[in-house]
Amino acid sequence: MSFTLTRPAAGIALLVAFVAGCGSTAAATHSSTAQPKPAATAKATQPAAPAKPPAVRPHRTVSPAPPTTPAAPPATTPAAPPATAPPANPIQQGNGGDQDADNNGGPNDGDGNI
Amino acid sequence: MTPRITRRGPLAIAALAAAAAAAVLVAFVLPAHPPAQAFPALVPAAAPASWPQATLPDRTAVLSYPPGLRPIHGDRGTVSAARLGPHGSYLLYLNATPRQGAENLQNWAAFRQRLLRADEAASAHLDAGAERLKFRGGTGSCVIDDYITKIGGHHYEEIACLVQGRSGASVIVGAAPAAQWIQAGPLLERAVAAYLVR
Repeated sequence: MSFTLTRPAAGIALLVAFVAGCGSTAAATHSSTAQPKPAATAKATQPAAPAKPPAVRPHRTVSPAPPTTPAAPPATTPAAPPATAPPANPIQQGNGGDQDADNNGGPNDGDGNI
Repeated sequence: MTPRITRRGPLAIAALAAAAAAAVLVAFVLPAHPPAQAFPALVPAAAPASWPQATLPDRTAVLSYPPGLRPIHGDRGTVSAARLGPHGSYLLYLNATPRQGAENLQNWAAFRQRLLRADEAASAHLDAGAERLKFRGGTGSCVIDDYITKIGGHHYEEIACLVQGRSGASVIVGAAPAAQWIQAGPLLERAVAAYLVR
């Protein structure tokens, strides 16, 4: 008896699932017609971004880490390092990459960055 | 439904284009951070007798620094002095370095900003600048700016001058945490005013 009740119930459940599925795809297609808006906001936020990239480019080598920093760049040179592991050292003057203030988050000295 | 969307489409695109054009125009016309303050008057004067002195190894300039500062390690050929906080943080910093790059009295403000951004600062902001300032033994161009370091995110304010003497040009930098600039600035400016070039 329970078997005979279970079958129709399963059938109804399948039917409900099917209808729900159709509904969700309909909703998806409907929302896809509204896509221009998200694209527009993405465009609107883009102009603000280009102002910053120059600031995050090169970096001096932090002298306490020279043994580890040379190892890291070859693996991740393309994009990851800029914030913490400096890839290229624009400072060629004096003893660049030394232990002076500005290699350790201290004030910048008066070098010419040649 | 669809016709309404297609009618709105061009309008939305036009509005977006107008907004983008306006944003670009504003970005070009208005500088991101215009200098906010006037450059303080620097009157060249010898430092008090109690102030220690450090001469550049090439002997082109003499840095005088307040007694509370101690000489610290810096790049070869330079002299530096600093007052450090309990955890090694920089409370006051003075440095003199012979001119080494393409900086000159005319391009100094732009050069210094470019250097800060390329070197160690995540951001840098020019606060004030002045050219043709008199120094003891020479003439200089100066900036006051503030910047945030990439390492540690420290916010410093500095006065940085390129000073041309008879035998060479050098840079003097005085820096302190931006939050303490009101107290530190006058002392650092006094050290800059006492900078002697030959």
